[in-house]
Amino acid sequence: MALSGIQIYKMLPQTNCKECGFATCLAFAMKLAAKQAELDGCPYVTEESKAALAESATPPIRLVTLKGKAGEAKAGNEVVLFRHEKTFYNRPGVFIRVLDTEDDEVIENKVRTGSSYSVDYVGMELRIDGFAVEAASGDRTRLATVVEALRASTGLPLILVGSDPAVLSGGLDKLEGEAPLIMGADTSNWEAMADLAAGRGAALGIRGGSIEELAQLSEKIKEKGVEDLVLYPAVDSMSASLALNTQIRRLALKNFRPLGYPTIAFAAASGDQGRESLMAAQAICKYAGFVVIDTFAPELIYPLLVLRENIFTDPQKPIQVLPALYEINSPGRSDPVLVTTNFSITYFSVANEVEGAGLPAWLLVTDAEGMSVLTAWAAGKFDAESIAKAVKQFGVADKVDQKWIVLPGHTAVLSGELEEELPDWVIKVGPREAVDLPGYMRQVLN
Amino acid sequence: MPVEIPKDSWPGSVNTVTLGATGDQGGSRTSTVTIGGEQSLPFMHFENPTPHRPVIAMEVAAARPADWSAVLLEAWGSTLDDPAVWARACEDAGADLIVLQFGLKGSDDGPVSAEFAVEVVKEVMDSTGLPLVVLGPGQAEIDNSILVPIADATKGERIVLGLCEEGNYRTIVAAAMANDHLVLGKTPMDVNLAKQLNILMTDMGLPLDRIVMDPTTGALGYGIEYGYSVMERLRLAALQGDAMTQLPMLVTPGVETWKTKESKVGAGIPDEWGEWAERGVNWETLTAVALIEAGADVVVLRHPQSLVRVRAAIAELTASETA
Amino acid sequence: MSRYIATRAIRGANALVGEAEAMLEQALSEKGPDTPVAFPNTAYHLPVIFGMTGKEIAHLGELPEILVQARSLLHPTPSREHWTPYLGETLDSGMATLLAAETIEAIRYVYGLQPESMPGFELAGGTSFTSPDMNGGGNQPPNGHLNGAIDDIQLRSWGIQLVDGRMPGFAAIVGCASSNEAAVQIVRELQRRNILCFLSGNVNGHSIIDQLHEEGVELGYDTYTVPFGTDTISAIYALGFATRSALTFGGLKGGQPREILNYNKDRVFAFVLALGEVDDLKYSAAAGAINFGFPVIADTVIPQILPTGITTYEHVVSMPWNEIDGANDTEKAERLVQKCIEVRGVKVRVANVPVPVPYGSAFEGEVVRKADMRAEFGGRDSRCFEYLKMAKLDELTDGKIEVIGRGLSDVPDQGSMDMAILIEVAGRQMEQDFEPVLERQIHYFVNGASGIQHIGQRDITWIRLSTKAAEAGFDMEHFGKILHARFHSDFGAIVDKVQVTIITEPEEVEARLEEARAAYDFRNKRLADLTDTAVDEFYSCTLCQSFAPNHVCIVSPERLGLCGAYNWLDCKASFSINPTGPNQPIKLGRIIDPVRGYWEGTNAYARIGSHGVVEEVAMYSIMENPMTACGCFECIMMLIPEANGVMVVSREDTSMTPAGMTFSTLAGMAGGGIQTPGVMGVGKYYLISPKFISADGGFKRVVWMSSVLKDGMAEELKMVAEREGDAELIDRVADERSVTTVEELLPWLEENGHPALTMDPII
Repeated sequence: MALSGIQIYKMLPQTNCKECGFATCLAFAMKLAAKQAELDGCPYVTEESKAALAESATPPIRLVTLKGKAGEAKAGNEVVLFRHEKTFYNRPGVFIRVLDTEDDEVIENKVRTGSSYSVDYVGMELRIDGFAVEAASGDRTRLATVVEALRASTGLPLILVGSDPAVLSGGLDKLEGEAPLIMGADTSNWEAMADLAAGRGAALGIRGGSIEELAQLSEKIKEKGVEDLVLYPAVDSMSASLALNTQIRRLALKNFRPLGYPTIAFAAASGDQGRESLMAAQAICKYAGFVVIDTFAPELIYPLLVLRENIFTDPQKPIQVLPALYEINSPGRSDPVLVTTNFSITYFSVANEVEGAGLPAWLLVTDAEGMSVLTAWAAGKFDAESIAKAVKQFGVADKVDQKWIVLPGHTAVLSGELEEELPDWVIKVGPREAVDLPGYMRQVLN
Repeated sequence: MPVEIPKDSWPGSVNTVTLGATGDQGGSRTSTVTIGGEQSLPFMHFENPTPHRPVIAMEVAAARPADWSAVLLEAWGSTLDDPAVWARACEDAGADLIVLQFGLKGSDDGPVSAEFAVEVVKEVMDSTGLPLVVLGPGQAEIDNSILVPIADATKGERIVLGLCEEGNYRTIVAAAMANDHLVLGKTPMDVNLAKQLNILMTDMGLPLDRIVMDPTTGALGYGIEYGYSVMERLRLAALQGDAMTQLPMLVTPGVETWKTKESKVGAGIPDEWGEWAERGVNWETLTAVALIEAGADVVVLRHPQSLVRVRAAIAELTASETA
Repeated sequence: MSRYIATRAIRGANALVGEAEAMLEQALSEKGPDTPVAFPNTAYHLPVIFGMTGKEIAHLGELPEILVQARSLLHPTPSREHWTPYLGETLDSGMATLLAAETIEAIRYVYGLQPESMPGFELAGGTSFTSPDMNGGGNQPPNGHLNGAIDDIQLRSWGIQLVDGRMPGFAAIVGCASSNEAAVQIVRELQRRNILCFLSGNVNGHSIIDQLHEEGVELGYDTYTVPFGTDTISAIYALGFATRSALTFGGLKGGQPREILNYNKDRVFAFVLALGEVDDLKYSAAAGAINFGFPVIADTVIPQILPTGITTYEHVVSMPWNEIDGANDTEKAERLVQKCIEVRGVKVRVANVPVPVPYGSAFEGEVVRKADMRAEFGGRDSRCFEYLKMAKLDELTDGKIEVIGRGLSDVPDQGSMDMAILIEVAGRQMEQDFEPVLERQIHYFVNGASGIQHIGQRDITWIRLSTKAAEAGFDMEHFGKILHARFHSDFGAIVDKVQVTIITEPEEVEARLEEARAAYDFRNKRLADLTDTAVDEFYSCTLCQSFAPNHVCIVSPERLGLCGAYNWLDCKASFSINPTGPNQPIKLGRIIDPVRGYWEGTNAYARIGSHGVVEEVAMYSIMENPMTACGCFECIMMLIPEANGVMVVSREDTSMTPAGMTFSTLAGMAGGGIQTPGVMGVGKYYLISPKFISADGGFKRVVWMSSVLKDGMAEELKMVAEREGDAELIDRVADERSVTTVEELLPWLEENGHPALTMDPII
């Protein structure tokens, strides 16, 4: 039975020293109860309490952080099976695989474009998280050369893939002070791999075809002192992968420690890009901590990164778009100004309908803390004052001659106050639903 | 180390629904499609096999679509001019179902009429043997004016009629009941609204094995996470035994995807978005597969290449021997 | 059940079954048992017989067994001396009558006697009678006969409209009205409401069909008035129509009599209107209709059967034509039809708001400025109030709008005038507790009219009317029209009649204002008296499950929803209006712990509503199994263990709190439908409830609260302080103006003598 924050509080020093990063011991206790903090955060907790709290206070899935020269990729610390139960916390790292047998130029090109890739999604810059280098050559020197060359192009975290510790150590030599992932250990090489990981401060991936195999290996490797482990359920089909990942997540959440680690998925599918994309999509939705793909193509990376962003959005903290004056279909000085809130779905529904209908308009998005129109209105975050403020802030009056501003139909009640706030403007009340906007614009605004 | 695999054992299951009727069954379809019946979360074969694989419906517009992406226009070519030809092409491409979508326009750009609608349905049924889902343009009065005569004209075919929404479900349910059809209920991304509509529809006496629900989804990047979670919650509730959530789910990744800028637009967009056609297909297939893993029983698609990829994924996901 | 009615119905049934037996015997000998029998163009055989018995009658030879069954349903008439229960016998007789009547009509079809011939009569629109053997071929205009049975095509067309509500119901009119004019007016009233009229029967050889025909009223499918036949027996077609509706649209099968009858009772809003003298046969046919849940309203003096049972409301109602209040036949007809609608529970829809200005929610926020104003009511220079009260159904005339006093034309431009808006509503499901819930809607309803601005409520109402609206013809009565239309369309589930009185006569306003104020006081008191122990059910609210899937609000009289928008009465009204909606009653059942607030019912609901995530909910504690929250809370409470109390931070307060977190950080901890002892989201009015964390020590535990709460609820909090026996209590509670950290809090509390410091340890 999990302990409540109050029960945990009773076992803490109750000094409000703030060294854990929280303002009070109770706040820290509540975070511990929610499995969003670790007991290690408290320097003064007694051994007695530590023992009593250990079970309740350790996150069921260990947080593993890969570090490169620049940037890190975190996985783990998840506490639920379904995002609606709370949220998924750490976005799975997306890694692009290169083979050390490929031409230098090919590798160089892939790494350079990949690591500089950045795409804007509702005001967020989405990027990939690192590269996986596979020691396909089996040659320690070749791997070292490739890793060194790679480090000249990118500082992102790396995963070194190979089965021979001696070969992999060549690559590790070039990653001093970093925390890469070694991928990985299996029944035949686990001891040497564990030594290698322990010696280099690297995380270690474990390859296994069944949960028994993975659990057994993780226990043994942990005994050798390596704690940052990543599980690789090495099965072929989407269905088997889904089943294994689900079983691992379920057992981990039941505090079955041998499987309490993030997982990694290899979506590569020998040139079948369609399959690769869907394998990767499944991995993102269903529990992978790291996803490795072969293809670097913007038309694939972009949707994958968006999927990751969507699935890992906190259901209670909706995605927001930047408050701004957006242009739809190149509006002119006589086109209407539509106003809405910065809840991403609200923004998209409005923007899509108008854009899809080919109608030019200015879309004024106010800062409503990411709430939808009705919710924001009810909470007082979308009112005449805030709309007028946005009109001024984004200089809307300078962009148009015909000063027509269209309110969402649900907030018709604001029209009077808005007239007061914006005396030069004609306030129009639009339809309640975005889907009716094109019709309204054609009929009423013309 | 022996590890006990954590298996869920659920008290409830999803209703089994059969779409379409063959000659023997009072219709004219050459095959029928059965969906639902799940006793576990999607593809948990170590608990229970997937009784009926998710199916792919292809969307066919009753009149040549005016606002479809150029990527789709190119993929389908002139088949788009004739819904009967188009439906046949979908069947040949491996679709399980046809979703015949009516818009506000009928023949020669005039408003859609009952005569036109019945005519198109009949032509499509003549050209394909697949079961049909027939959807009105989504305006209650117009929907009623075409769906009722369509229902009358196709009695016994077990067509899925839609969309039933809170405002107009009565007429469509009545038409379905009088003619041995099925209905599709649609509610806006909310578990309780979905339940409520299901209660209202069954309250009219329509048996649960004749209702499919569309809980509504957004496309990737445009609210998919809401639809995804609502579907996961509906499916969990169904397995927990809540009868009013035990309906198979139909979702429309095609419609949602192809209205996003990412799929629809090819010019004046950032380089980081990559190649247009492939991006559009990825957008549609990623949306579809994510929703299938959240419990979708029917996905409605638009691009022929998406059909191929999603079908392959479904085959892989339902191949139980590898689990 | 009236013994008189039972006697007549049973006698009528006996006679009709006898008649049917004689006719059948004759037909069998004249035509032979293999002669086909059928009603035209239907797949449902003889529909009542098919529905009730499952028999698919196709030949004369199959009918005798039906009459055997009919006879078996007959009973002797009740004895004069020894009364035994006879409801069942009467209903049985009614059923026997229906089986016999349908048999007779089937035989008449065999003889070509149906549809009934009527020389010179033309049907408006199509006809179900298309046999080329009679009447000169199918392509001839449908002349010279009545309609007879309704065919399947028409059944589908009308059936769908009945099922989806476009058509509210049908009236089976039997007999003959007191005058031709009365007949016309009754049918007009029914048509006006889109109610389908089936006509049959006669009194002394004169039928309502004759009456309407004489007056030149077009009858037929096109006019929604179907002349079945001029005898009572032809009324069977109405029940054949009802039976087929159930078979077609209810998914039912022949031989499911119980289901078919229930379907009709619950979904087919039909009634029998018996015009003129009621003879034995009419009584027995009426008994047949009652089986279907169709009540009977007679325009003559007959015994009434008022208690509810087989029908939803009254079974038989007498409303003698000459006693109906009304200046002319039109008014009398309106009242009679209104009564029919009421007895059957037919819901009438008002599609549009009949005002001369645009109407819709888009106009809700309009402001009418002084310069654009034609007149105002309330505000500085005049009085205005609104008061909605419940009345009995028979006290009101639906749609009646009365203006007492001056009209708009008497008000100088930009002038003001006293006004009272009195609304009386009546309905079977209406309760006095709903009065304030409905009254609050006036604001939204009135505001929907373009050019009208409505502010405030009760006796601080302030309404402005724009010049433009006045020029468009908006006058005082239109306020009534708006309210009548909107209460019907939005609250039709609980409101059957709405009557509005607009008073501008100052003395009358004054007098009514006192009455209204007494009612406002009464309601305030009622709210205060409405305690958790005074009710046996709470309400759930799952409106927010889209945000927090496993969260359930449990709303009790003393604990409103955490969003502050829904109190117990609102939930109750919401449930009445929308029984499948987000507010469901939670039967409390056995009380487990009155201090913390556990009931079997609330716990069971918490488990179901939270999908098993929450096991128990304490209604009155923050420390143990507190209620979960979605995210909409007005305030967040959090335990401050150092101060042995709790703090309350308002959504409007963005400053730092002694918990070391601001509202928005706390919100992440309090929301999401997860039970977190020590943290709870609440509606701000819960703070002043006697049940406010009463298990943990009540309001005295509040050591810190946002100043916006202190100021905004100063009056209410003062009363709380008095209730707690410490008039200074609120001043002893810290706020963000004095304290923002827990370190500052303790000395401050000590200095101000806060009671929590000396209370039992909260942990």
